[in-house]
Amino acid sequence: MKTVAVTATLVGKEAPLSTGELARACGAEETWVLQLVKVGIVEASGRPADWRFDSAALRQALAARSLQRDFDASLDAAALILDMSSEIRRLRARLRVLGMDADGF
Amino acid sequence: MEFKDYYATLGVERGATDDDVRQAYRKLARKYHPDVSKEADAEQRMRDVNEAYQVLKDPEKRAAYDNLAAGVSSGGDFRPPPDWDSGFEFRGAGPGDEAAFSEFFSSLFGGGGRRGGGAAMRARGEDHHAAIEIDLEDALRGATRDISLRSIGYDEHGQPRLQTRTLNVRIPAGVREGQFIRLAGQGMPGMGGGENGDLYLEVRFKPHPRYRVEGRDLYMDLPVAPWEAALGATVRAPTPHGPVEVGVPANSREGRKLRLKGRGIPGDPAGDLYLVLEIAWPPADTEKARQAYRHLAQEVPFDPRRNLGD
Repeated sequence: MKTVAVTATLVGKEAPLSTGELARACGAEETWVLQLVKVGIVEASGRPADWRFDSAALRQALAARSLQRDFDASLDAAALILDMSSEIRRLRARLRVLGMDADGF
Repeated sequence: MEFKDYYATLGVERGATDDDVRQAYRKLARKYHPDVSKEADAEQRMRDVNEAYQVLKDPEKRAAYDNLAAGVSSGGDFRPPPDWDSGFEFRGAGPGDEAAFSEFFSSLFGGGGRRGGGAAMRARGEDHHAAIEIDLEDALRGATRDISLRSIGYDEHGQPRLQTRTLNVRIPAGVREGQFIRLAGQGMPGMGGGENGDLYLEVRFKPHPRYRVEGRDLYMDLPVAPWEAALGATVRAPTPHGPVEVGVPANSREGRKLRLKGRGIPGDPAGDLYLVLEIAWPPADTEKARQAYRHLAQEVPFDPRRNLGD
């Protein structure tokens, strides 16, 4: 079997995604990414003409995409769902750190 | 390879309409969503449901699946290669799919060139998504992993055949849970001379027996003897970067966190390692030990319930 060595980059500060790359990774248009930023689903760094996105932005964008596509959620509803979801995950992670889980000890 | 009945997964008939499929998916997605579900195997069920939906909602993929299903029931050969199970999950036929997918799915739709569109079209290939599970140690030191991707190709008789290609991926040190590793040009092949898409691997950590991970920080329980916690002591503690001598302050309580700066997951800034004190009492299983406890009880007036009132 042939093994191909490939270059792996970590999506983050060192190697962020551009607006176009984020859109493509989600199978969407750049204008959709602009909406995501406007609604506050993803955070961009850099100047508006040259936005940069990290892994957290990619994760949020993918989740928003599937909420829109699979549940016909509006972008505002998706934003609310994602906020609540991230709060649940944050609380669960805190519980794990304290040696507990959400449904008991 | 196990043949997956996507209709059964969603609980719909073979002749289900798009609307039936969508309704069934939405119901199950709520039931098994990992953020809300109380079912033990919710995550796996969610993946199965997502996978089934990604195929059945798309007319082209559904037709391809139905074709394959017909072949299987008449004894079609669909045998996986021996190194089939490598812990790799494919995550999407189309870009942007939240779901993780089984090998069965990726063998069907993972870049086999089943794309619509005119032959003269020039298009960049779609980006693909997959999840990769790594050990915490891989994130601390970096690691190299072989990842197998399967796709369907056709032999000289036009019969579908599974193809496997293996990518040798270097996982950079300092990767965090939920971060994406991007492999340029490893997504769907482009058409008509178009560029290939990229492959994104979402990193997940396997649970670690000793460390709990929060972002770049690590937490570890450090057992100490009651006298070490009471009097203060210097104790030896293992860390991912080798053992250290750590000072336990006098009058430390259970649960006190000692912070070892920069000893978490590397990065800029590096994460910290927190040692959470856990007081371990020597068992009173010898006369000597019982005598020592009696002695302490006599010498030290101490009522642990004094704050409870009556």
